[in-house]
Amino acid sequence: MKNILYILLAAVAMTFAACKATQVDRSIVPPAGPAPKIQIGQYQLFTLDNGLKVIVVENHKLPRVSYSVNFDIDPILEGSNAGYVQMAGGLMSAGTKTYSKAQIDEKIDYIGADLSTSSSGVYGGCLKKHSEQFLALMSDVLMNPTFPEEELQKTIKQTLSGLASEKTDPNSISSKIGNVVKYGKDHPYGELQTEETINAIKRDDLVGFYNKYVKPNVSYLVIVGDISPEEAKTQAQKYFGTWAKGNVVGVKYKTPAEPSANQVAFVPVPGAVQSVIDVTYPIQLKPGTQEAITANVLNNILGGSGFQARLMQNLREDKAYTYGAYSSIDADEFVGSFSAGASVRNEVTDSAIVQFIYEMERMVNEPVADSTLSVVKNIMTGSFARSLERPQTIANFAYNIEKYGLPKDYYETYLQKLNAITAADVQALAKKIIRPKNCYITVVGNKEIAEKLNVFAASGKVDMYNPDGSVFVDLKAAPAGVTSETVLNNYITAIGGKDKILAIKSYEQQGKYLMGPMGLDMNIKVKDNAKIAMTIQMNGMEMMKQVFDGTKGVSSQMGQKADMSEDELAEARQQLDMLFEINYPKYNITATLKGIGAVDGKDAYVIERKDANGDVTTEYYDVNSGLKVKSISVNKDGEEVVTVETTFLEYKEFNGVKFPVSQKQLMGAQEFSIQVSDIIINPKLDDAVFKTN
Amino acid sequence: MKTTTKLMTLALCTIGLSASAQNIKFEEYDLKNGLHVILHEDHSTPIVAVTVMYHVGSKNETVGRTGMAHFFEHLLFEGSENIGRGQYSKFVENAGGGLNANTSQDRTFYYELLPSNQLELGLWLESERMLHAKVEKIGIETQREVVKEEKRQRIDNQPYGNLFGATLDAAFDVHPYSWAPIGSMEDLNAAQEQDFIDFYKTFYVPNNAVLSIAGDITIEQTKELIKKYFSTIPKGTKEIPRPTVKEPINKGEVRDTIMGKDQLPMIVQAYHIPAQGTTEFYAVDMLNQLLAQGASSRLNRSLVEEKQVALFSGAFTYNVEDPGLTLAYSLANMGVEPKQVEDAMNTEFERVKKEEITEEEFQKLRNQIESNFIQSNSTVAGIAESLANYHMYYGEANLINTEIQRYLAVTKQDILKAAQKFYIPENRVVIYFLNDPALSK
Repeated sequence: MKNILYILLAAVAMTFAACKATQVDRSIVPPAGPAPKIQIGQYQLFTLDNGLKVIVVENHKLPRVSYSVNFDIDPILEGSNAGYVQMAGGLMSAGTKTYSKAQIDEKIDYIGADLSTSSSGVYGGCLKKHSEQFLALMSDVLMNPTFPEEELQKTIKQTLSGLASEKTDPNSISSKIGNVVKYGKDHPYGELQTEETINAIKRDDLVGFYNKYVKPNVSYLVIVGDISPEEAKTQAQKYFGTWAKGNVVGVKYKTPAEPSANQVAFVPVPGAVQSVIDVTYPIQLKPGTQEAITANVLNNILGGSGFQARLMQNLREDKAYTYGAYSSIDADEFVGSFSAGASVRNEVTDSAIVQFIYEMERMVNEPVADSTLSVVKNIMTGSFARSLERPQTIANFAYNIEKYGLPKDYYETYLQKLNAITAADVQALAKKIIRPKNCYITVVGNKEIAEKLNVFAASGKVDMYNPDGSVFVDLKAAPAGVTSETVLNNYITAIGGKDKILAIKSYEQQGKYLMGPMGLDMNIKVKDNAKIAMTIQMNGMEMMKQVFDGTKGVSSQMGQKADMSEDELAEARQQLDMLFEINYPKYNITATLKGIGAVDGKDAYVIERKDANGDVTTEYYDVNSGLKVKSISVNKDGEEVVTVETTFLEYKEFNGVKFPVSQKQLMGAQEFSIQVSDIIINPKLDDAVFKTN
Repeated sequence: MKTTTKLMTLALCTIGLSASAQNIKFEEYDLKNGLHVILHEDHSTPIVAVTVMYHVGSKNETVGRTGMAHFFEHLLFEGSENIGRGQYSKFVENAGGGLNANTSQDRTFYYELLPSNQLELGLWLESERMLHAKVEKIGIETQREVVKEEKRQRIDNQPYGNLFGATLDAAFDVHPYSWAPIGSMEDLNAAQEQDFIDFYKTFYVPNNAVLSIAGDITIEQTKELIKKYFSTIPKGTKEIPRPTVKEPINKGEVRDTIMGKDQLPMIVQAYHIPAQGTTEFYAVDMLNQLLAQGASSRLNRSLVEEKQVALFSGAFTYNVEDPGLTLAYSLANMGVEPKQVEDAMNTEFERVKKEEITEEEFQKLRNQIESNFIQSNSTVAGIAESLANYHMYYGEANLINTEIQRYLAVTKQDILKAAQKFYIPENRVVIYFLNDPALSK
């Protein structure tokens, strides 16, 4: 008893006295009153001539009506332009034959309504008194979208920014990596949007999706709220009756299977203080079946939303590894999913995984106690009853009955079906769908803990992934005989060879420096391999200038002049050296061949270059062409560390020597593009250009 | 084309506002021990929401014990004299109910959603919590770790998770709104048993609480049951401390840059505003609506759609009991300088200070208010909480039916004046959340 703390020591005595006085025995749990009758609201269903099925749920509590049009179409495998389906859905409200996006937005906001569109439907709601104006807009968006090019470009830009910001969101990374390993990239559920696929999206893709799939005969109009079935019928006919039907073809996909043995997929996130764990695999479970209800019972025992679920009790209330641990078992027409996970602090990641597997095994090996089963049935009955408060629930029931072809009384008899489930039923299903030896264990977290998780992989090794779901490739060993010297010599040969390179004494390069909507003009002049002058201008105004006359250098920014530092002078000298890559020793630079990596799917030798001042640059030389394709430099600027990643996209020959003419640079999330328009070789250059005073 | 729109709009204007929201009926009274009771009867679904709101939040904490109110909320699920450790959730879930709680700067809110035949169970559970909660050492240590995990999950390991805390910290110098309810790791580690005892005795007393019940109940029977379980709970004897310190306004612009691993720059501006419930507060709230509600709102239209400098731009009123803040925040698009985004935000702030909003916009705001207001009371749990809120903060539960009138009383001129008074540089905090490449590698 020593370790027990009583709060309110003094008041306790007083309270007991008080209780006695009014004869309330507080130790007795109050009994329940007679069980209230659970009544499920009714719905109306009818079909328009164009095949649009309409579901109406009447509820007059609030003077409001919600409308949704759901497209019942099969998932689409998008391929090299993954993301276009989502964009097509989102951009349906970005302009119609009559209204621009701005006009649509204004009209919807003006009546205090909501309207949103996605690839699975059009949704919204408004006060009853505004329903005619609202429906006029909703049907316009649904039937006359124009997918303006300008809006597409805006969305592409936003999606790319969104992808960049997701790179540090552990939950979004976890869900991506889960989908990739679970379904594979060849299944619509496992496809990922990347910078490349988003950039590949064209307006025609959007129009194609719309014309192929958005048809009334595969859609449901669901109307819920302060409306009579007669009014609903009139509105449905008026606003959706002219929507033209068309044939929509279904698609079949190979069903993803669970792994033959446990695999661990790890995504490193710098600075993570928690690991996001997900134990997951695909399952076969169809919605609306008795098995799906049993699966729901099973899930509530293991890790449903209640506090008493085993994962919550074990990982939170007993071990305090996490704020919350949950599981889910999703039934799906195509392929379902099991998932169990939590966010836990770094040091207990492996211990937490042990407990997940333990609880899964327990479900398979032990029948659940009847008391546990009855608690879960109570939880599910209660949550079913509470969900009926929302009229939307009745609409969802109706939609499921129609979409999955369930018996009409499926939800009316739901509680009977639930009550009939036995402990033996639960264990039998657990043996079928709980697979503690066939899971993908995905962990998004601090790289330091990855090694400790090797024990959970049947292969004995964790598979590393990048945040975008692509495989994180460890470098392969370079073949015997290949050294940093051979790679660098090869590079010199690849760009034209020593002789041709040395024939270039002077040149003038012109180009553009692009940064979002801003474009800067760039000019570089080199004379006698000894002097260099670089200027950057915006609209003819000089923004930056650097001049090096062979001994002295000056840089000026917006007219502010400063002498170049030792580091900058060294940099200028190196830049003037046309054979810099094979002259490293001259500058006290060391180069190490690290192995073979990949740039855009192509093998490249990776060379780590260490400058005299300690700065490190990692450079990639294409194995086939020998050209430098990428360079990542980490520069220290006082206390700050700046990483610059340059990708060389295109080379062009001038006087027999290849110069990079298209480059992409990344600094943090800032992206620049450098485009060279022309290089004049050995021009006459005035010495005045290189004056430093 | 343009004229057509205008005609349409003018036609729409005539719709006007009937403010025809439903009238929510309720009864309220005080027990002798000071517990305020509010009851709302609604038989549409056989469920009941039993809720207790305590007038204590993170602003009642002291420096060195931040996070106490929220930590304590976790502990009050541990048990009582008659409820064994971890049994709270069992009783509720076995009865087919759901339960939870949350803590804000100003109050702590506990609720059970039960089948209506289990009303008495809910009352018993909440009265036990108020009368003689019991916490064992093992519970304290477990919940201490759970709360720390909650902090890691919701804040430390979230993109821009420190945004809110950092903004409060920069905005408040003397008022305890300067920390978020989650508190600091050091303080969570430092909390001692005696702290909990003191906290419980001071704040968890009937005269500092509102018992609000809504759903399938009969008023008379419910009153009897409340008497049975709550009337014997002794009134608190300690004085309930509330911060009296006033955060000065217009104390000069505060600017800060916070480096993190998040990829895109986030720009936050926060302006000090008056306490909730004041006329100026409603004007500021409508300004935020103008700036940020819906796709046609000014920030979205300008920064996201037209200039395309931001991926997202929003604003909201941080409505709290004492004078709080209004926050505007923008997530920069890739490759856009934060300064460019801030300038674009400032352009919109300048605009609301310079020009009165148009009649069309004004009508839009009023239509949105009506729609929001009607939708806000669609569940019994929501109604129970709103009634408790209105009583606790304004002493007037009936604002659930009438607060809309306060919004509708705001004029275009009020909005302009509020903008000119509060949206000024010396009254704000500007924070850039930028990417530190070293942390992202």
